[in-house]
Amino acid sequence: MSALALDPAGRRWLRRARIAAILAALAGVLLLAVSGWFLTAAALAGAAGPMAALGFNYLIPSAAIRGLAILRTAGRYGERLFSHQAALGAMAALRAGLFARLAAQDGRTGPDLAGGDASARLIGDIDALEELIVREPVRSASWVAAGAGVLLAGLAGWAAALALLLLLAALPPLLDRAARRLTRQPAHDAAEALGALRTRYVEYAAARAEIAAYGLADRVTGDLSRFAADLDAARARLHRGEGVIAALLAGYAALAAALVLRLADAPAPRVALALLVAAGAVEAMAGLARTAFRRAGVAAGLRRLDALLALPEPVAAPASTEAMPLRLGGLDLAPGARVAVTGRSGSGKTVLLETLAGLRGAAVDAAVGGLAPAACSGAMLRAQFALAPQDPALIAGTIADNLRLARPGVDRESIWAVLRVVALEDRIGGFPEGLDTRLGEAGGTLSGGERKRLSLARALLAGRPWLLLDEPTEGLDPATEYEMVARLDAWLAASNTGLVLVSHRRAPIGLAGNVVAIEDIATSPCRTRV
Amino acid sequence: MTWLLDIPGAALFAAGIALAVSSLAAGEGLSWGAVALILAGGAIRAGAAMLAHAVAIRAAQRVVAGWRARIFPRLLAGRLPRPLLAGESAALAIDHMVAIEACEARFRPARAASAAAPLLVAAIVACASWVSATILLVTLVPFALGMILAGSAARRAAERQLAALAGLSGLFVDRIRALPIIRHFGAEDRIARQVAAATREAADRTVAVLRVAFLSGAVLEFFAALSVALVAVYCGFALLGLLPFPPPEKLSLGHAFFALAMAPEFYLPMRRLAAAYHEKQLGDAAMAALADVEAPAPAPPPAARFDGLRVAQLAIAWPGLRIGPIGFELASADLVALTGPTGSGKSSLLAAIAGQVAPAGGAVTTARGDALDPADIAWAAQTPLLLPGTLAENIALARPDATPEEIARVAGQVGLDAVIAARGGLGLMLDHRGSGLSGGERRRIGLARALLSRRPLLLCDEPTADLDRASAAAIVALLREVAAERAVLVATHDPALAAAARLVVAL
Repeated sequence: MSALALDPAGRRWLRRARIAAILAALAGVLLLAVSGWFLTAAALAGAAGPMAALGFNYLIPSAAIRGLAILRTAGRYGERLFSHQAALGAMAALRAGLFARLAAQDGRTGPDLAGGDASARLIGDIDALEELIVREPVRSASWVAAGAGVLLAGLAGWAAALALLLLLAALPPLLDRAARRLTRQPAHDAAEALGALRTRYVEYAAARAEIAAYGLADRVTGDLSRFAADLDAARARLHRGEGVIAALLAGYAALAAALVLRLADAPAPRVALALLVAAGAVEAMAGLARTAFRRAGVAAGLRRLDALLALPEPVAAPASTEAMPLRLGGLDLAPGARVAVTGRSGSGKTVLLETLAGLRGAAVDAAVGGLAPAACSGAMLRAQFALAPQDPALIAGTIADNLRLARPGVDRESIWAVLRVVALEDRIGGFPEGLDTRLGEAGGTLSGGERKRLSLARALLAGRPWLLLDEPTEGLDPATEYEMVARLDAWLAASNTGLVLVSHRRAPIGLAGNVVAIEDIATSPCRTRV
Repeated sequence: MTWLLDIPGAALFAAGIALAVSSLAAGEGLSWGAVALILAGGAIRAGAAMLAHAVAIRAAQRVVAGWRARIFPRLLAGRLPRPLLAGESAALAIDHMVAIEACEARFRPARAASAAAPLLVAAIVACASWVSATILLVTLVPFALGMILAGSAARRAAERQLAALAGLSGLFVDRIRALPIIRHFGAEDRIARQVAAATREAADRTVAVLRVAFLSGAVLEFFAALSVALVAVYCGFALLGLLPFPPPEKLSLGHAFFALAMAPEFYLPMRRLAAAYHEKQLGDAAMAALADVEAPAPAPPPAARFDGLRVAQLAIAWPGLRIGPIGFELASADLVALTGPTGSGKSSLLAAIAGQVAPAGGAVTTARGDALDPADIAWAAQTPLLLPGTLAENIALARPDATPEEIARVAGQVGLDAVIAARGGLGLMLDHRGSGLSGGERRRIGLARALLSRRPLLLCDEPTADLDRASAAAIVALLREVAAERAVLVATHDPALAAAARLVVAL
């Protein structure tokens, strides 16, 4: 499957767009041809005397001119609308297909798109394709306009038509070569320079406090401007390259007109027609130049998308939902047991939780049902563990959307029950829209501590045998923390759910019956996802 | 305005074909002068296109360089309305600049030419046929009305709706970012169906919006085509001598053909402008985002001598982070610790105290209540900045006039002497990554820099994080020593360091 493949509906819209574009291009060329012929023939008839003028059929050409003007407008409008319809539909299908493909991957081995840069690049790649599809119909229209141009030029003699045919046939490969020559190196340089500038900039942005405190802004800006200059130089070359292509087209149009004039062998009206048509046909091929230029720019993105679409469809193995025993380091834990993992920050506690949750493939000295986490299928780990991560990882949508993520079709009563456990029922009950209150992308409306508790409620709702909690009470005042820990304790006991807890705070650690040091578990905490 | 050079080229080209046609019609055969005019016209147009692109990108990059010169210092050292993630900051400083460059290079030259160019074309056409020129100018009136009707009202509505649609397609972005947690809860199938439905709906609704939005483009196309048609019909009837009114001018075939060949040039500048409209929208959005950052900060009041720090009712409220109000005081020789778990906003609070981000409320002053002088604040970062240069230069970043003896002394004070001895002295060359230095050594360089600056208030961000027990203890001892003569405020979640403080402020 290719990223540019369209579904039948998309192909239908694209076909309509192509027809509209062809009509518009034909109308454009014909408008020039008829106008030029009409003018010259009218002048000859007018010069031949009033009788000839009266005998001249002016109704058809003058009506044709007006009709063609309207047809060109309608064609362009149709082309834009239909091609966008095709592109938007195709992009929607591509987004949905890509998402389904990516979602089905095992997070430990699939491509990592959680980072802002990776997902931004994916979005950018898809958007660039949209433009490619929108421009697609213009390509066919360029060819048809060129063909019509050659036929019409034939009215001025076969030599002129043949010359125009050769010139127009040579144009696309010429444009393609020129576009590739003019874009490849600068596009590559610009991407490199952009990367270098970004890397250096991000380092400085991280040291912002010192730069501000010691007044180093000018020095740092000076250092960055070297990288910016590289970027500017490459982008300027790209832009000048576009100028060269435009110049090529302008010169080519003049050359075509001059050749047709030189080789024409027909009465003046027909030569007039052929001259305007020759220039118009070259201009119609400008659409090809623009696509050639864009295609070179999006080739890398297209390759990246095709690689994602070529990802294998993993076979889903059914996993047992029965609670399994857990071993952390030397500590054996039966289902329902509770353990707190301690250690300095940065020592790999979060990595351990994410590895158990199936989000990472780090090497840890642990076993689930006797198997190392890396040897367990993703489905098996998911069936055992529910994670409330350090960063709450809420999705944009309503509070209910976030909770239903863990359990589809859950009733409101169960939702309020878990919200009570995390001491959020009053806060959310106080919203006018209650559970249907929308959260912003970063979880707006709720404070950092409240978002973490919502994330905890979601993990509770999942109803897995083991709960993985990463700093669950961070940002809470002691009274709320005490309250929540007590309710959580009761909930764990009532549901016989096991607990693996990471926290710096005393109160939640009190939930756990065992304590294990991270140094005994994480053998290689730094290995991140592939 | 370099696009105006395109018009003389177009005029020569038009003159060439007009001359060719009229001499053929007069039975004079091929005019070599006409061929020369056509080729010269083409050459001028080609030259104009190259020149216009080259000039446009130069001007655009000058504008962008101006933005960078203003925005980089502001983003990297100015007082910001809220703290920015490094990625956000880079988007503003780099990606938005690319959008502005595209807007300046494509839209601005097109707009500059769009007012004068049609008039110039009309003036040139008027030399051959003033009636044709008048026809072209008269079509501007219904064109403008049509653009106002189809353009403004419909486009405003369309833009509003497109903004709402952006939210709908933003769902895709959000769900891609949340994929790990979606997979973890086994919700991928449901969410995939939801994403498919939402992107489909967004596409369908966008098409409905575009139907209206494309109308202004159609108006432009229509008048571009109509103006050519009207000139052709008028000239044809004039040449036939069949005009329904007395001929206002004497028209020859050459003049008429010239007017016809020039007619498409009349609306060409407007079409170029329309083609760059997308770049304009992106550029405007980028400039609006940068303008928020660029908003000038109020001039600081005159600063007084540092005699201690007073933080009163200091509060921070940004999306996703709310701290305070917090109040405490720091004597001129003192050690206070701000504590709280990772992500609780300790660093943000330090930045607000240093005046680098704007707090939601409260005041940071000297003990007497005067304004704090930024030059009194030293900052020891968790990952100190290293610039390419020697170790000595890096230690002396805050006070480049320090003598080598002074530098050596603070290096010894922070325990860097062993490193220096082992690696070849203070002249050791460093790159910006600090290759070859451990995290602890790097942090000591930051501390040495802060001490050498002789500033009376020292802010330390997590000075002991990720250090082994012995190095952490050494740093704590050093900070205690420094606190005997300066005001030291540390942000930490290290209980050992907090225990050394006179006062612990928990977030």
